[in-house]
This record gives sequence, C-alpha cells and structure tokens, in this order.
Amino acid sequence: MYTNKFNIWFLSSLLISILVIIPITTVFFSFFEDTSRYFEILKETFLFEYILNSLILLIGVLVLTFILGVGSAYVVSFYEFPGANFFKWALILSFAIPPYIYAYSLFAFFDNYGTAFTILKNLFGEGEYNKYIPKFDDMFGLILSISFSLFAYVYILTRSAFLYQSQNLIELGKNLGFSKFKSFYSIILPAARPAIVAGLSLVAMETLAEFGAVDFFSVNTLTTGIYNAWITFDDLAFANRISFFLLLFIFILFLSENLSRKKAKFHLESKGGFKQKEKIILSGSKSFFAFLFCSIIFFLSFLFPLSQMLYWTIKFPENLFDINLTSLLINTLCLVLLSSIVLIIFALISNYGNRVSKNKILNVLSTLSISGYAIPGIILAVAFITFVAWFDENVIKALGFLSIKKIFIGSVLGLVIVYFIRFYSLAFNGIKSGYEKINLSVDESAYLLGYSKRKTFTNIHIPYLRNSILFVIILISLEIVRELPITLILRPFNFETLATTAYISASEDLLEAAAVPSLFLILIAAFFITITSKYILREK
Amino acid sequence: MSENFFEVNNVDFKIGGKTRVKNASFSIKNEGDIICLLGPSGIGKTTILRTISGLERISSGSITLNKKLLSSKSTHIEPEDRNISLAFQENSLFPHFNVEKNILAGTEKKINKKKIISPKEIIKILNLKNILNKYPHQISAGEAQRSSLARSLVSNPDLLLLDEPLSNVDQSFKEEIQVELKQLLSKFKITTIIVTHDSYEAFYLGSKCGIILNGQLKQYDDPYNIYHFPNSVEVVNFLNRGILIPAKVTGGDSLENDDLGIIKGKFIKHYPTGSKVKLLLQPEDLEHDDDSNLKLEVVDRKFRGTNFIYTLKTPSNNLIPVAVHTHHWEQHEVNEKFGIKRPIYIDHIVCF
Repeated sequence: MYTNKFNIWFLSSLLISILVIIPITTVFFSFFEDTSRYFEILKETFLFEYILNSLILLIGVLVLTFILGVGSAYVVSFYEFPGANFFKWALILSFAIPPYIYAYSLFAFFDNYGTAFTILKNLFGEGEYNKYIPKFDDMFGLILSISFSLFAYVYILTRSAFLYQSQNLIELGKNLGFSKFKSFYSIILPAARPAIVAGLSLVAMETLAEFGAVDFFSVNTLTTGIYNAWITFDDLAFANRISFFLLLFIFILFLSENLSRKKAKFHLESKGGFKQKEKIILSGSKSFFAFLFCSIIFFLSFLFPLSQMLYWTIKFPENLFDINLTSLLINTLCLVLLSSIVLIIFALISNYGNRVSKNKILNVLSTLSISGYAIPGIILAVAFITFVAWFDENVIKALGFLSIKKIFIGSVLGLVIVYFIRFYSLAFNGIKSGYEKINLSVDESAYLLGYSKRKTFTNIHIPYLRNSILFVIILISLEIVRELPITLILRPFNFETLATTAYISASEDLLEAAAVPSLFLILIAAFFITITSKYILREK
Repeated sequence: MSENFFEVNNVDFKIGGKTRVKNASFSIKNEGDIICLLGPSGIGKTTILRTISGLERISSGSITLNKKLLSSKSTHIEPEDRNISLAFQENSLFPHFNVEKNILAGTEKKINKKKIISPKEIIKILNLKNILNKYPHQISAGEAQRSSLARSLVSNPDLLLLDEPLSNVDQSFKEEIQVELKQLLSKFKITTIIVTHDSYEAFYLGSKCGIILNGQLKQYDDPYNIYHFPNSVEVVNFLNRGILIPAKVTGGDSLENDDLGIIKGKFIKHYPTGSKVKLLLQPEDLEHDDDSNLKLEVVDRKFRGTNFIYTLKTPSNNLIPVAVHTHHWEQHEVNEKFGIKRPIYIDHIVCF
C-alpha cells in the first residue's frame, strides 16, 4: 500500500509503542544495576524456593486448567444434552471470580469452624468435624483457586477451535476406521492444539502474575518475592532483579511453545469445503454424566465462591454499612472509564498507524509493546515507579524543575498509565482483530474515491469497528475491576476500589468483611461477561 | 509533449520492492478508448493497475494522463488527488454501508464533475436495484463485483481501471453484461483499462490489447493482430489457439511441411527461400474435406457449440487442431481418418 513513510499516523504509533515499551526495558536494564545485600541473602536462602514454588504452581495450574477447559469445551461442542446451551454460557462466568476471591471462599469454607463445619453441624448436630474436613490453605488450595478462576481461557479458545472443526475432519476419522477415542486423540485434539496452547499460555501468564491468592496462602513465589523486595526491603533494584527472572520464565515459555509448533499448519484457510459439525445427541446415562460433569465445573468455579460471599454478606449485614460502597463503586468505575477511553483511543491510532505505514520497525515495536500483558502487574508497577524516580532525579531535577513524582506515583494518572501498559495488548489485539476483517482494498478504494487518510479512519474504519470497540471496552473493564497489585501499589492515599478493599480486609484476617466488596466485584464482572458473552461465544 | 490521452513510458512496475513487469510502455490515444491487459494469473497485471492509480510508486519512467504527469521517479500524485478509479477484483465494498450507500460513496469525489453519470442509470444497467438495501456480506461475489463497478463508474473518473471485472459474474450473465459495459463506457466516453485473463473478454472489450508474459509487455496491438499476428512463440502459447509445426520456405508465397505438403498464402514477414521455420497453424487455417486424399487420424474431438475442434495426428506425431462447423453432417470419431482439403491456403502465414 502506498504511503509517505513518516506520516503523522506512523509517528503516533511509534510514540505509543515506545511509551509502552519503557517499563519493559526498565526491568531489563535494572538487572545490571547494583542491588542491596538483600539480593545476596535471598540468593543463598529463598530464591530457589521462589523459583521452585512458581514452577510447581505453574505445572499444577496448567494440568488442571487443561483438564477442565478442554474437557468442558469438548463436551459442550460435540454433544447435545439437557442444559448444554446453558453450560456453554455459564462456564465462562468463572471469569467473574478473581483467584484471590476464590481463595478466600475456599479457605473459609474448609477452615476450622468454617462454612463446611456449620453445614455439618446444622445437618448432624455438634461434633468434632474439623479433623475430617480437608484443608486447602497451601499450594494445593492455591492451584485449585487459580485453576477454577482461569480455566475459562482454555475453555473459550478450545471451544471456538472445536466449533470450527469441519464435520469432514471427523468423518475422515470414521472413514479411516478410527475409534472415538482415537479420533479425539489423533484428529480433534491436534487440530485444536494452537487454541489450547494459546489458552494455556494466557493461563500461564496470569498464574505467574497472580498476586492476591498467592499472598493470601503465603506461598512464596517470584511474584510475592517482588512485592516483598519492594515493600519489606524497600529495594526497587532488587525487586526488578527478581522481575527479570520472572520475565525470563515467561519468555522461555513463549519460546518453547513457538519452537514446538515450528511451521506446522493446523487449520486450513476456509476456502469452501467447510461442513458444519453435527452434534451427537446423548441420551440415558451418557447424557446424565455430561450434565453432571458440566454442573460440577459450573458449581465449583462460579456458584461455590458466589454462594460463600453471599452467605457472609447475609450473615454479617453490618459489613454492608461499614464500607462506603458508593465510593468504592465510583472509584472502580471511574478507573474503568478513564482507562478504557485512553486505551481505545491509543489502540485505534496505533492500529491505523501500523496499517497505513507498513513499517517493519513499527511492527517489531508493536509486537514488543503488546508484551505488556505477559508482564505481571506487580512488575509493571515497580518498573513504572523505577522509571519515574529515575526520570525525576536525572532529568526533571537536573533541569531545575520541581519533582514530578507526586503526579505519577500514588495518583489516578499513574494508575491509568500502568493499566494502559498492562492492558494495551488487550485493546490493541481486540481492535486489530476487527481491522483484520477489513480488506486493505477497502482503504485503497476509499483513497481512490477521494477520502483522505483521516476521513478513511473516521468515516470508514471507526463506524465499522464499533462492535470490536465495545467488546474491547468490556474486556478492559472486566480486567480492571478484578485487577489488584497495580491498584494496590499505585493508588492514591485513601483511594480504594472493590478489589483493594477485599484484599485489605482479607489480609487483616477479616474474611467476612472481604465478602461485601468481593460480592459486588463478582456481580459487576458477571454483568460485563453476560453482555459480552454473545461475542465471546459467537458461532458464526 | 505526447498527443496521447494516457501514456506509460518505460516503467518498471514493482510491488513490495519486487519488479513484476519490467520496462513497459503503452498508451491510449483518445479519451474514451478501452484497452485490455491480458496475461496469466499472478503475472503483475494488478500491480500495473495499482501503480497507475497511485497506490504504488515508480522508480523509473513516467505515467501521464491528459498531459499531466502522475508518476515518475520524483513525482507522485496521491491516489485521492488523481481522478482515477479502480474497481478491485476482490470485494472492496465498505462492509458497514449497504449497496446503495456504497455506490453513492463514489459520488463524493470533487475533482471532475464535467461528466455526470447518474447512479440510477448505472444501477439499472448493472441490475442492482434488488440488492440496494443489502449489505456486502449479504450479496454474492458477482453482485459485489457489479456494485463495486457501479461505485467506480459514478465517481466520473478520467481513467477507469477494472481488475478482472467479470471474473465472479455468472457465465449466463457475462456476455450480456460485457455488451452493456462496453456500451456504457463508450456512451460516457470513459477511458478504461481492463485487466483480465480471459482472451475473448479482452478481444471483445478492448480496442487494443496488451499481452503480459514473463515480466514483460510482450505485445500491445489491436485484438485482431494479437490473434492473427502474434509476435512471439510465448504469445502463441499463451493464447493457446494454435500449434507450431516445422516447415521449409519454398518461395515468396509458399512453404512445405513433411506431413501436409505444400501450403500457400501470404507471409507476414519475409523469409528467404530454403529457411527452416516454425509455422503457426490455428484451428481455422485448415479445412475439412471428406473426399480429400490427405487423411489424418483423429485423436480427440471437442464440442465447442458452433464448432468441433478435432485434434489430428500427423505421421510425424504433430497434433494439429482443425475447426469444423457442427452442422457438418458427418462427425468423425476418435481413431477415424479425417480428410484435409487441398491445396492448403492460409490467408496470412505466421512463422517463427
């Protein structure tokens, strides 16, 4: 496509990409800085434990989300049974439960004299039930909490891959005389591999980034290590050095996935020949087991934590009045609104800049800039503070100006900037996938019909991308409502959101008090999920 | 300054840094003329249209329209500032506009309003009335192509570029729309370059045709000349309407082939007596005669509506095509003998 290389769109895209890349490079360079002696102490004491725990957590969560996500996606995509249409939608509701809220529910339910104890007491009278109730307050509980909260990533992507598998592929298996299991194992599953891996990669990134649940169960991972280095040792360079290890972890994960896939092509471009899949109608015990399987996952992933929070809210209604719910809602929604506007505007400009410029450097920078999502919020927050501190010291003060730290650290502006970096890939990719549906010849036709680049952008692209924009706004909102570490680190003094209030109450061992903000958080998130479900689950 | 309405001079047509067509020159003499560029798929025909429309730049040569320089090494007028319209082969309709709004989008260009082509008339001619309220995803590929053509036409372009404009149109509708398109373009005097891989479409629509092969514009001439006087073996092979057989020039108006004997006619180019040449034999060159003593074996027979095309094998294993009117009462089966009328006379003898 024609273009003047250095047009305004190119420059805007370049600027946006650089802005997002800064914290990432900050982490990288800080690895080579001197740290306090704490790093040496850590290296000799806990670093190995951090890495080992992160690894155990990662493997545990990946195995469980694979079983839950692929299993449920297979059942609802290939079989027809009572409630199949309901479960198709209901299973994504688990997105509304952040891992830390799941962790609170799990802990509270099985705790000594917790909800399970109360249920047993009400059913069977007084008794020594505590010793028979299993405890989920360690690594296993953490794996369960994260898995039930995140398996929907694998479910959604795998289901959409299963959905687009042609009936021809399945009939080919039958024709070759494969058993059902062999068809599943050697045709259906490998064909959906990129989607499954993509889902698992997202789960892996979220797991390594998880802070709330990990902190709640006091499992020492690299993420909590970063937080402790910064909060306990007040050592940013040290925090950054642990961040570097975590980034390395994520990078190896990406690389191994890419290498294992090589250039294998898993699905054909659809140029005809696609035959809509016919679902197998189940009856009798098979139908019952399919229903039971989905019901159990739905119950454990959504109804269980929701009921626990609802139960506490009803049981301790005074908590409803102890917190300023209106202010929490306004703060949360204000952050959602501001961040969404900024993200959408920048993602639109950057995408269009990339589209009209077709510049290789810009392409590389854009790819790097969307890696923000792979970087845990806690690292981004720390890196942002590092950068602002460095810039303030070396540039602003050196030029004789007043410190700008307060403008960016502990302010809504700082929060929005870091949200922007963290969720930029969501916005960028969301808009990009909308853009990919617009043939380049549409732009070229517009130019040939006399439309300028700006007019093509405003009159042709934006109206067409309306649905993608709406979808991205909802996704961003969902993420920001649930987001914890960035908000926790960068929020202004006395500025709380639903997530931070829940976290603070839980960390003060006031789980009952954490229930009210958690419940509202779940309800808002479930509302966002419900209105986007038609996009998430679209079949055509 | 050249007197031609449109001119391409020594241009290397490139896309993505790769040269697709090298050092091409051609021109359109009068405003309102239609020319066609013909060539196999992927040869660079679309790149030529994209470059003329301004979507690609050039690093050598020049492109001028109506005495105005559009492109050269140092000049590049942006596509939105050229009054050139390009109808893409693939669907390039605005996806969120209905067909009517898409067509009317073509009227927004403010550059040249001297010729006013009414959208109503175009809609009627291109038979789009029933789909005006539909969106691009609700219509067929052929309908999308016609809508795109309509949009290009209503923009009153100085030069209209059509990329395989009828490739998705049903065969039954194709001839009808070809006639109407030609009448429409001539009525509004719209200078047009049409890219196609269908030689019949090109020969019908274009007053001149360019054959693009192997990264070069091989021949640019009247359709009649292209067909009857191809200037290279590549053009013959591309048109696939004849074969080359060995022959020896025996005089100023004759040559001899081992299987067919003496062939008389008018040479297009002079060859000295005794020269060994390759003679182009097209299906229309030989005539069938059941009573002739020159008999060849039938190895294939194709029914082409008005004609049968027989493929005959000569004793030297050359395969020769011969057209016979389908009303000829005696049809010949494969392996039968087939008579060729003697003496053989070919109007214009083309040799290489």
